[in-house]
Amino acid sequence: MRFIIQRDLLIESIQHVMKAISSRVTIPILTGIKIEATQEGIKLTGSDSDISIESFIPKEEYGLEHVEGIEEGSVVVQAKYFPDIIRKLPLKTVELITDDQYKVTIKSGGAEFHLNGQDAVEYPHLPKLHTDNSFELKNDLLKDLIKQTVFAVSTVETRPILTGVNMIIEEEHLDFVATDSHRLASRKIPLNLNNENISFKNVVIPGKSLIELNKIIEDNEETITISVTENQILFQTKNLYFLSRLLDGNYPETSRLIPEQSKTIVHTKTKTLLQAIDRASLLAKENRNNVVKLQTKSNNEIEISSNTPEVGQVNEDVTTESIEGEDLKISFSAKYMIDALKIIEEDHVKIEFTGAMRPFIIRPIDNEHILQLILPVRTY
Amino acid sequence: MSKWYPKKGRVIFHVDMNSFYASVEAAYDPSLKGKPLAIAGNPEERRGIIVTSSYEARAKGVKTTMPLWEAKKLCPNLIVMRPNFDRYRKASSEMFKMLSAITPYVQPVSIDEGYMDITECEALGSPLEIAKNLQMQIAEELDIPCSIGIAPNKFLAKMASDMKKPMGITVLRKRDLPEKLWPLPVGEMYGIGAKTAEKLNKVEIYTIKDLIEADVYSLKRLLGINGERLQNRANGVDPSIVDPEAIYDFKSIGNSETLREDTTEEIEIKKLIRKLSRKVSTRLKRKEVVGQNVQIMIRFHNRKTITRSIKLPNFIEEEDTIFTIGYDLFEKHWNGDPIRLLGVTVSDLVEKKEISQQLDIFTYEKEASKEKLYQTMEKLTEKYGENTFKKLKQEEDNSQPRTSFQKDYLDDYRNDKKDT
Repeated sequence: MRFIIQRDLLIESIQHVMKAISSRVTIPILTGIKIEATQEGIKLTGSDSDISIESFIPKEEYGLEHVEGIEEGSVVVQAKYFPDIIRKLPLKTVELITDDQYKVTIKSGGAEFHLNGQDAVEYPHLPKLHTDNSFELKNDLLKDLIKQTVFAVSTVETRPILTGVNMIIEEEHLDFVATDSHRLASRKIPLNLNNENISFKNVVIPGKSLIELNKIIEDNEETITISVTENQILFQTKNLYFLSRLLDGNYPETSRLIPEQSKTIVHTKTKTLLQAIDRASLLAKENRNNVVKLQTKSNNEIEISSNTPEVGQVNEDVTTESIEGEDLKISFSAKYMIDALKIIEEDHVKIEFTGAMRPFIIRPIDNEHILQLILPVRTY
Repeated sequence: MSKWYPKKGRVIFHVDMNSFYASVEAAYDPSLKGKPLAIAGNPEERRGIIVTSSYEARAKGVKTTMPLWEAKKLCPNLIVMRPNFDRYRKASSEMFKMLSAITPYVQPVSIDEGYMDITECEALGSPLEIAKNLQMQIAEELDIPCSIGIAPNKFLAKMASDMKKPMGITVLRKRDLPEKLWPLPVGEMYGIGAKTAEKLNKVEIYTIKDLIEADVYSLKRLLGINGERLQNRANGVDPSIVDPEAIYDFKSIGNSETLREDTTEEIEIKKLIRKLSRKVSTRLKRKEVVGQNVQIMIRFHNRKTITRSIKLPNFIEEEDTIFTIGYDLFEKHWNGDPIRLLGVTVSDLVEKKEISQQLDIFTYEKEASKEKLYQTMEKLTEKYGENTFKKLKQEEDNSQPRTSFQKDYLDDYRNDKKDT
């Protein structure tokens, strides 16, 4: 194998596949990066067997030549050293050459590295997905879906299924749902399905996979193809192939958990509330659940307060647009509230409460597609 | 200023009930008096070991933790009884009540021993008089013998109470140390177990005097920081105070139990973890605390022991939660070897009233159904002030403590006092 490549493109590709590489894997060769050269271009692969990522650098793109002097071949290099070497080379291009002992020579300017590699035949084959369950999305929309839900996945393994995001396709809508059982985030979008009969409910993508995917895909309107099988999901763009395993088990039915009636409804400016909660949480951080209290008052005002005996207390009256229904006094985690309000881009939100011990929901006004639900805290 | 009390420094008692369980039984049934009596865990099973025995049994060589069959061989007419923890608890509580009538500075250490700081008790007489009266009162009212050590600190008081049993009163002053303390073998010293004694013997430290003369750096190398502390104590220096709140400083609540036989049977293991979780949960509720850390202990057939723990985002107290998390930990860390003993511990405890409870989307209905009740309570509390309501403690007195390290009942004597 031999080729000369634009160094910045190689660095970017390395960064992508490194997202899937872990030093703690059961198959030792997976601590390496697989490099394959064909006449079409260069393909890098990284995998920890939960996530596998392939990044492709085409020989030519938009009339620009990225790679030249390609002699086909493949090798696996150690991910511990290869990325840093490439990053620190002196010139804009780098030449890679392998010998029949899988030794890789890396040349750029006067610098020349010889790095021991391994036979790429040893590297496990990534499964090829065979499925009709495919649909397309725009990159930026997928990034929104991830950002608005993935923060709510569980970070503990007590119920492993909750560490993933539930992806549902039903009635021409795509819905992402995540809950750690203390709060729930859901984002729904209408979906134009070319293939009419796609529908699934129990696809659960590990939160970690989505977080990594979100780092790799660019914020633009290019198309990403999503294919789903029994236990894997594939996200594919022109030069990227991102494969993740799905979580095993049944995701709890969440739609019935969302209250349909409400007793107190507050309309308020998103930012005003967010900032007030953020201030109150300065003191609430000390108490164990980061608890702030919200109390409705007259004149469309709500009082946000927090009291940590060892530290001090804070009160703030926030003027809202309107308060309808019963008076209310409720305590909740400031962190959950901040997380929820942060991902809402709309200026105004509607908060629907159903009592001090029941979940409440936050939605942007005029956007039924974003829903944030939070369980209150009971203070003794 | 009485000549019996030092101008500076303190007067500490260590009160130690002599062969407590056996003494309580003999007090219940006087016909047992003067006979070799042993209290044993489970007479018919492997764990049937001697928990305690009367002096008559000890004279024949019966020792605590000895297997029952061995004890019977040494003392064929040994009378063996199962423990009656309710009786012991009651006697213990009565005993601590007597102690706390003398001074509020009482620190229970276990069911049958405790420290008192009587520095401020001049009005009640000399320390020796107070000790004699207390010993007599316990003997008369409870019919239980005890030994009392009198010294300027806790360590010396503990050593002193050990010097004359049963019904002894020993004064150990600093000037008595060269004669009374230093000639003793190091293994006799409180805080030095068999293993530490063995280590010390290897470097030719045999008596407490040898310990004092040892080089502090080599002691530290041998025993860590504890080495220096032991040497200080041997010199009669122990700065720790009699702390009545010390029993509240429990950082964890745990139970462990030996299996009937070494096993790899998952059903047996699961059953035991379930049982231990239930006990821990009961004790957490009894103390009105919740914890944020679950630890399991696995002791294998070869006595190799591992502990593994997990820190949780939430505070827990329920049996089911403890079990689920504990069993999960177990599955992750069990290598499949036969198991002798299992333990479940919940730690990072806080008092329940100090924390708030994050409701859970899948279970909140249970709490929410009490919402009206809570609202009413809150309104009334606002009106009449705090303490209008007190949640009734779970009455689970049939949950008998099985080992003396379970100290959560030791403050019972105080609650009793408040009630009467």
